[in-house]
Amino acid sequence: MISRSSVLLLLAVMLSALPVAAQQPGVSDTEIVIGGSNSFSGPLAFTGEQITKFGVDLYFKVINDAGGIHGRKIRTVYYDDAYRPQDAVANTKKLVEQDRVFAIIIPQGSPPVVATLDYLEENKVPLLFPYQSSPVTRGKRYVMQGMTLSDRSSKMMIDYLAGQRKVKKFAALYQDDEYGKSFLTAFEKDLGRYGLKLVAAESVKRGVTDVSAQVAKLQAAKPEVTFLVLVPGPGAQALKERQKIGWNDTIMVSTGPLTDERYLSLAGDAAEGVEGLSLWPDPVSSDLPGVKLYREHMHRYFPQNEPNRYSIAGYCAAMLFAEGAKRAGRNLTRDGLMAAFESFKAYETGILPPITIGPDHETQKQGFWVRVEQGRFKQMTDWLKSE
Amino acid sequence: MRQAALATGAAVVVGWPWAAPRYFVFLASLIAINAIVAIGLNLLSGYTNQLSFGHAGFLAIGAYAAAILTIRAPALPVPVSLLLAGLVTAAVGLALGIPCLRLEGLYLAMATLAFGFVVVEAILSLDWLTRGNDGLRVPAARLGPWTLATDTARYYLVMTVAALLVVAAVNISRTRTGRALLAVRESEIAAQASGIHLAAYKTLAFVVSAFYTGVAGGLFALVVGFLSPDSFDVFLSVDFVAMIIVGGLGSILGSVVGAAVITTLNDSLAGFQNYRPLIFGAILITSMVFMPGGIASALGKISGARSRPPRQGEDR
Repeated sequence: MISRSSVLLLLAVMLSALPVAAQQPGVSDTEIVIGGSNSFSGPLAFTGEQITKFGVDLYFKVINDAGGIHGRKIRTVYYDDAYRPQDAVANTKKLVEQDRVFAIIIPQGSPPVVATLDYLEENKVPLLFPYQSSPVTRGKRYVMQGMTLSDRSSKMMIDYLAGQRKVKKFAALYQDDEYGKSFLTAFEKDLGRYGLKLVAAESVKRGVTDVSAQVAKLQAAKPEVTFLVLVPGPGAQALKERQKIGWNDTIMVSTGPLTDERYLSLAGDAAEGVEGLSLWPDPVSSDLPGVKLYREHMHRYFPQNEPNRYSIAGYCAAMLFAEGAKRAGRNLTRDGLMAAFESFKAYETGILPPITIGPDHETQKQGFWVRVEQGRFKQMTDWLKSE
Repeated sequence: MRQAALATGAAVVVGWPWAAPRYFVFLASLIAINAIVAIGLNLLSGYTNQLSFGHAGFLAIGAYAAAILTIRAPALPVPVSLLLAGLVTAAVGLALGIPCLRLEGLYLAMATLAFGFVVVEAILSLDWLTRGNDGLRVPAARLGPWTLATDTARYYLVMTVAALLVVAAVNISRTRTGRALLAVRESEIAAQASGIHLAAYKTLAFVVSAFYTGVAGGLFALVVGFLSPDSFDVFLSVDFVAMIIVGGLGSILGSVVGAAVITTLNDSLAGFQNYRPLIFGAILITSMVFMPGGIASALGKISGARSRPPRQGEDR
């Protein structure tokens, strides 16, 4: 026996289901759902939490409180992968197939990101601003790269040091993985343009903090500049070792991913005079309007959380997503979003230099030179170019 | 009754990809892969009382072997590459098993723990073959005219292999070999007195365990599609041990149930982000306190159909 009310209910359900079915995954009348797999446990847990909960979500809180994007609030879903590629694959499949997210935002680390790259590209799901610097993500149809890629960082570093400051003898202390090797290859290529070569290169296994043997060998090669392609722990250890053995006639230079506050605080006074390429303006002291606004927002929503460059990276990623979604219009689709990103011409974030997105889909291509003075990074140059 | 249960189980497994959403097909494949590892580990730990914290290492060897075979010899049918992955891993298991026979309890656990780290280091050192930390992308495997490119295709492959290995394990456990292994577990001295060659059976357990884990590794490579040393950390080995303890030591059904519980738990706790390890640990401790014999024996108690008498040494 079918009652009239149940027929009406059925009709209502069917009608309400219709517009949803016509829309993109993750986009409803009132909401946009995006998400990502990130490190909330494991070696990069601090970075992962800062990027997502205190970075991406911070900016979305601001946007949502101001009414959202074309009337839709943004909701985020994150899963922990503990830096394990297989967990990243499982999480990403779950986000796409179960949570039906519209896009993946700022997942962290080369192995977890590369593990999901083909799957996302096949399923035409936008992979937005992955927090890793290996060039494997370049030129994909549905990827927008975030962090400055290693070959661009290398070009800026060598052009500045060999070109402007006429340094001739370079050495490198690098982590023995994709991160370290992609930098090493790029250094050799860029030095080649100046007719130069690395005079020494020593590798450090990932997870190892004792670098004394490598530092001693590098000292013997007498380089004017020693690149540190490491993560904060061993990076700071290299500086302390250098101080201990009294090796003063080399300038230690940190890569973009290493130049952060954690490395600085771990190294203490051994960091004095150290130089590096910074991919972000100083989150604590910069006077740029966007950075000031970021600190204001952080103070309003998460007063307990110190500003740092991980959360500012997530904040910036969310800002770019919001701008892209705004430009894509009320009828938001994945292809529409990608097209909207490609329309970015000198877009001002107030944090990074103006962003123009070309066919390479890279949003960050610049960095500037810093030197450590009294425990803080002091800006030495304007934004350097990598084109 | 028993046959009806088996038939229902088989029907669910076969029909699953049509009834369940795509993600759960993938998840079921992972559960089955972990179940194969858990059975392998249980043959070692549950049956002969040798605890291993290095099974992520065996899984890595099987996974890399199958992946490299699939890349270098794309014409090779999947069953052959899986079998080879199992055999390579079994050979390593033999090499590790012989010296480890001299170790017991904690010392064996330490040696296998070290083995897990050695495997990761070896993967890094052999980067011309394994691509080291860059990771290895695994192409879709071929089976005759078909390419196993969908979650459903891979699911059926995994389930077929898992079914074969479960049947094999049940048979092993019921033969003289299985009883000999159990006897070793209960008391090594008594087993020796009954004419069981201790060294031979312990080595056998190691080799069979490694074989199972190697085959599971091959399936893991195909299902996940990407391998990196980061995949095989020590916590994965601990997860495997957790599976057999939660499921039930010395029980094949327990291995499967334990694998299902731990895999599902890991998956559903991913959303708790920073709290995942905390909640996971709390659940493990609770289940150990309330079900010391594992889920299999707890289920047995409820249905009153316990197949085995209680054993000593459960407190490990």
